[in-house]
Amino acid sequence: MATVDVVGSARVSDKPSAPAPIVRLRDVTKSYGTGAAKTQVLRGVSFDVDSGELIALVGQSGSGKSTLLNVIGGLDQPDAGEVEVFGTDTIRSSDARRAEIRNQSIGFVFQAFNLLDHLTVLGNVILPASFARDASNVESRGREALRRVGLSDFAKRRPGELSGGQKQRVAIARALFNSPTLLLCDEPTGNLDSETGRDVIDFFRELNAKDGVTLLIVTHERRVSSVAKRVIAMRDGMLVETTDEALAAVHGGGPS
Amino acid sequence: MPAGNLARMVVANTLRSRRHFILSAFGIVIGIATFVVFLASTEQVGAVLEKIFPVEQVQVVAPRASLLGKDISKKLDDKIVEQIRSRPEVDRADPTAVVPRMSLAFPAFGRGDFEGNDLKFEVGGFADGINPDFVNDDDRTRELFKDWDGVASDPKRVACVPPPPDPQEEVIQSPPAPKGKASKPGVYYNPCPQPERYYCDEIDRTCHHRVPIVMSPTMIELYNGQFAKSHGLPIADVDFVRFVTQRGGLSAMRFSIGLGLTTIAGTNANISRGKVRRVEGVLVGISNKAMPIGMTMPIQYIQRWNRAFLGDDAATAYSSIIVRLKDRNQIAVFSQWLQDDLDLRLEDSLGEKFATALFVIRLVLVLISLVIITISSINIAHNFFMQVTERRRELGLLRAVGAAQIDVLMVVLGEAALIGLIGGVLGLVLGIAIASGVDWGSAHYLPRFPYKPDSWFHFKWWIVLGGLVCSTGFSVLGGYLPARRASTMEPAQALTQN
Repeated sequence: MATVDVVGSARVSDKPSAPAPIVRLRDVTKSYGTGAAKTQVLRGVSFDVDSGELIALVGQSGSGKSTLLNVIGGLDQPDAGEVEVFGTDTIRSSDARRAEIRNQSIGFVFQAFNLLDHLTVLGNVILPASFARDASNVESRGREALRRVGLSDFAKRRPGELSGGQKQRVAIARALFNSPTLLLCDEPTGNLDSETGRDVIDFFRELNAKDGVTLLIVTHERRVSSVAKRVIAMRDGMLVETTDEALAAVHGGGPS
Repeated sequence: MPAGNLARMVVANTLRSRRHFILSAFGIVIGIATFVVFLASTEQVGAVLEKIFPVEQVQVVAPRASLLGKDISKKLDDKIVEQIRSRPEVDRADPTAVVPRMSLAFPAFGRGDFEGNDLKFEVGGFADGINPDFVNDDDRTRELFKDWDGVASDPKRVACVPPPPDPQEEVIQSPPAPKGKASKPGVYYNPCPQPERYYCDEIDRTCHHRVPIVMSPTMIELYNGQFAKSHGLPIADVDFVRFVTQRGGLSAMRFSIGLGLTTIAGTNANISRGKVRRVEGVLVGISNKAMPIGMTMPIQYIQRWNRAFLGDDAATAYSSIIVRLKDRNQIAVFSQWLQDDLDLRLEDSLGEKFATALFVIRLVLVLISLVIITISSINIAHNFFMQVTERRRELGLLRAVGAAQIDVLMVVLGEAALIGLIGGVLGLVLGIAIASGVDWGSAHYLPRFPYKPDSWFHFKWWIVLGGLVCSTGFSVLGGYLPARRASTMEPAQALTQN
């Protein structure tokens, strides 16, 4: 088992000599619904993500993990607080700027894969190129991304012809297409069997170790948090101290 | 998002969902088909009406008045012409803006040969004169339609021996002399140079150019529609000039006019026998400037003949004055002035009434087709709302991989525009197919009648372009709200859709 830097609360980098974090959140709040149906999903969340980290974001269902991930990725906007991603204030910046950051610097991996069935595997992988201002060598880069996930021979297949594990690898190839600095993964092994899930986790660890890609992984699973360099736990929209008991509660009987 | 990528994505998205495409495009296809068919048909009907009733000008006439059987109507003379010419509604710089017409004011009788048949017809009441400058339809008409007798030095006006007097008092067309053949005794051959255009005048015994005549297209239509059928004569080609060219050219359409002669007993009682004379005419062109039923020649001929037979008054009184206004909207002002200051009026223009009726019909038809297109636009909006809901996850994914709101907006609007464009093209094809079917039915099952067109439709370029712009525009309009919804949905929520 890898050494895990378990932190009880989010580390806030205030040291002046430290390099600027790639993600910086301060007092971020977010709610859904109105009136009596209003649900507070994030309650004053603050934490930083430094370059090269591999962070596991754990917590029970409804604790706000995915919302936090979406806020960082610019897929959702908080009600209040500050969000800085790669030095850009994503709350006040334009939609086009947020889209550019997502396109160029962030990769997303979802539990449900989110592949487009009408496109080929290669078409799915190179989808981000459609929105890049000047994309070159698109197809060769797409094939290279597929090679990295071990699916070189599947370029012309359709997602419907693939297994769950293969689909997730295609989704990872798509996330890696633009060589992002930050990979945001929402339950990436949630729909995979344990062996395939392990392969994916190994791939993430290698990606972090060799390529220095920063990963923020939302997960329920112990085996994922076990490879993380830092684990951040959430409960009821807040970051909480990450104790072994808390982690056990989160992971339950999940795969280890 | 680069335009090329946008286009590729729009085409791919449109082609992959046939059900959505058919549901969305169906209304547009029907709407555009009706739109272009209605416009093309009213355009063609309008063109036919303009042939029958030239609507670009008005005709000033004097109200008819009589006292004890004597015509006391106001006289239209040169003074009135000048007064009209000075009106602000009339373009003074245009010499053909005010053109008086003069009717042949005494009996005359025509005779000619057509397709080997001896044609006889009344000319008195069916002939008038007009300023030759006004009749400038084509080069040939411009060259030949002039006052040849007014030409000071015509080298072909040489002395000749006219045909002997006709004991039947019928006018005989003078045939040209056959080339290389000697004259037969008792047969008169036209001795003039260029005999197809010149004839030997019996009064001054010199060769004169035949009187140039133009006829209105209405005459051809009447001939084709009624006369030819009832008399077993060939139908004239739609292109009348081509028709007569095949029969020896326009110059072959010659006839004689017996001035002062008539088949209506006693109606020329006031004409002294000594004044009766024969002239020859030649058809030089078809023009809608000619009187609708009858023949039109340069006004100088009519003036000379009216003066010779009836005196100066008849040579200075016009039957009507054609006026081309700067702007058709000024008709009311001009008409009021005519009534108030000159005690004259505009002739009731059937053409104008038809044009107004046609305008209203066209408006109604276009409105109907626009209603159909609008409904199809609403249908497109409905379909796109459904599509956007069905594709929430896909659209959310596009946002996740780097699409800005404007990109999503453009993708959905692009799909709507493409559906509109393809629907418009299919609508045009359907419209043209419907038109072809109607034309086929018309050609095979409708009897021939005056002005029956070969096609009931004229698909002008602006109708085709208008159809495509309309289909694309209404489609984009229908797709706008769904596209906005698609672009403004939160990607995080869209991605969680099941």
